[in-house]
Amino acid sequence: MTTTKPSPTPSCHAGGDGPAAVLGAPVVALVGAPNAGKSTLFNGLTGGKRTVGNWPGTTVEVGSAAWAAGGTPVELLDLPGAYSLDSHSPDEELTRDLLYGVDRPVPDVTVVVVDAAQLARSLYLVAQLREHRQRVVLALTMNDVAARRGIEVDPAALARAVGAAVVAIDPRRRAGAQRLQAEVAAVLAGPVPEPRPQPGGLDHDDELAVADERFAWIEAAVSAGSRMPAGARTTVSDRIDRWATAPVIGPLLFLAVMWAVFELTTAVAAPIQDGLGNFFSGPLTRGINAVFEHLGLGGSWLVQFVDNGLIAGVGMLLTFVPLMIIMFALLALLEDSGYMARAAVVTDRLMRRIGLPGKAFLPLVVGFGCNVPAISATRILPGARQRVLTALLIPVTSCSARLTVYVLVAATFFPAHAGTVVFGMYVISILLVVLAGLALKQTLWRSMGQEPLVLDLPAYQRPTLRLTASVTWLRVKGFLRSAGGIIVATVTVVWLLQAIPVRGGASFGHVEPGDSLFAGLARLIAPIFAPLGFGDWHTASSLVVGFVAKETVITSWAQTYAAADPTAGQSPAQLQGHIHAAFAATGGGAVTAAVFAFLIFLLAYTPCVATVAAQYREIGLRWTAFGILMQLSVAWVLACLVFQLGRLLT
Amino acid sequence: MSSPLSAVLGAFTAGARSRAELARNTGLRPDVVDAAIEHLVRMGRLEAKELAGGCPTGGCGSCASGVDDAPGCGASARSSARTGPVLVELRLKR
Repeated sequence: MTTTKPSPTPSCHAGGDGPAAVLGAPVVALVGAPNAGKSTLFNGLTGGKRTVGNWPGTTVEVGSAAWAAGGTPVELLDLPGAYSLDSHSPDEELTRDLLYGVDRPVPDVTVVVVDAAQLARSLYLVAQLREHRQRVVLALTMNDVAARRGIEVDPAALARAVGAAVVAIDPRRRAGAQRLQAEVAAVLAGPVPEPRPQPGGLDHDDELAVADERFAWIEAAVSAGSRMPAGARTTVSDRIDRWATAPVIGPLLFLAVMWAVFELTTAVAAPIQDGLGNFFSGPLTRGINAVFEHLGLGGSWLVQFVDNGLIAGVGMLLTFVPLMIIMFALLALLEDSGYMARAAVVTDRLMRRIGLPGKAFLPLVVGFGCNVPAISATRILPGARQRVLTALLIPVTSCSARLTVYVLVAATFFPAHAGTVVFGMYVISILLVVLAGLALKQTLWRSMGQEPLVLDLPAYQRPTLRLTASVTWLRVKGFLRSAGGIIVATVTVVWLLQAIPVRGGASFGHVEPGDSLFAGLARLIAPIFAPLGFGDWHTASSLVVGFVAKETVITSWAQTYAAADPTAGQSPAQLQGHIHAAFAATGGGAVTAAVFAFLIFLLAYTPCVATVAAQYREIGLRWTAFGILMQLSVAWVLACLVFQLGRLLT
Repeated sequence: MSSPLSAVLGAFTAGARSRAELARNTGLRPDVVDAAIEHLVRMGRLEAKELAGGCPTGGCGSCASGVDDAPGCGASARSSARTGPVLVELRLKR
């Protein structure tokens, strides 16, 4: 059958003066998925001489050139790349129209470029083409890639399975071009084959049933025409995953890995942190003070601000930078190796087992890094109610900012088991989310639906230094940015409040810590925390300041205690001594219970103003206010329970 | 007649969580499973999203928290790179 067709309209993309096809010559159409080597084959067959133009009425380009198939002059068309003829894109739509347009005859031969390395993927188009009376030839490309992957393709067996000629070619080396020419000529000379048989009773309006029938045909074709390497079904990753994602071993392994991360982080970072702290409180403070003395500013309020504000507060926080680097680097290594993807599978499966929807859990997982993007991530949830509930639950997930306080407190009271205590806080955080989720499951989360998740797990790989360093730096940079921004501002406000006298008659900037406006306000608040075991004004005020950002709990502590001992600077060990003494004084003989009550309060109350702002943006003022009240109430009640029960047991 | 696409969808629903598990549970070859998943995504039966625990290395454009191609944190930067694990979320058509 000979076709007549409108010529492509030349455009500015015209590729050259290709030889014009003989009028009325048979048309051979070249089709195939993008990147299957179709254009390379077209250029190889036609010597790169082609005319390119937009098909009339479309913006889709179609190449055209004269070609000789076994001595028969034909017009070769390079149709747009298409995985299928299902019209998912303008390219696929045009390809379908050119092949089956109601007002156009089909091409005399359709050559389908099939990627031998991805045979099943490439054959969908063939399955569709073979549903029509049409001459089809398969040009098998990427044979070298398939061979490297151990895939053996038998062209003759494949040809029998698909009911069309199959020619293995290498367009880049122009190998097989003559065989393809001969095959196309032979097919052109032969009769038009009948469509492939399809099962009776197939509902052609049922999109899934139709696609399923094609895939059944594909499966039969690839099984008959190719062989996968023996080990293809079980890779090293698969073997590891049998354990890493196993229902019982998987979660235990995940917990063990996370425990190791926290243990390693705290153990390795501790001496570096001490050294850095001693540097800030020693040589750096003395050096800056010497400069101030030299400038004649010794003893001024500016010196007080730099010593007791910036160095004591921000400096103390900066001592946590090595800890952050180590932890972020370890987590980046786990991510880069592919393990964190397995951890996500394990977590999702665990959540499903207790009936929580995996989709709602995703923002919660993000919350362990930082609550702010996690609140934004609630947008992936389908309904307003689910978004509100998840956004309310996210602040309970323990973010990395809280980690600094956990580490300081754990190193102060449990120096030999700091990593385990920090790990325990994360476990408690997960338990709180699960318990709240279970409560919500019976009420408001009930309508979340049954949408299972599956993960395309990347193969395990050796982590790369470049990627690990880049991810670590990205996260440390975020920590440093907050330390240089909102935390400096908070430190300044705290210092100002500490510099204003409310009793004792001292001048601005030279106030005894207990006589400052800050201490006065803190004493008003401190009784609220007395039933929780930490009613000391230093601790109470640090929690109030911590409302801005959790790192400021440390800067506030460091500032209030540094002001009490202005001549000595403030090393981490000194700060830990002050904190220990404060809890011993307020814990009523149950110091451990008071410490855990403090940690629980820290975990459960409002994370930071940035999270509040994100909540306001996502769920509005009313729910945000409700959330803050709920967080404060839950934190207070839980901490009170922990301390009072702990005191009874002590 | 076998029904590879239905088998893959069934295995999702039954709780398979990886391609290897899908291949094991359906008895299909891994390359057929890959092609089936890809086709189900094209059909709109499955939705592929990247899963990450923080900011993705591929930039905001590849963020798991993003909606409608916008990054989840509200940042405006975009990136087309996709380097993390891919989460395929089953969306059953009504």
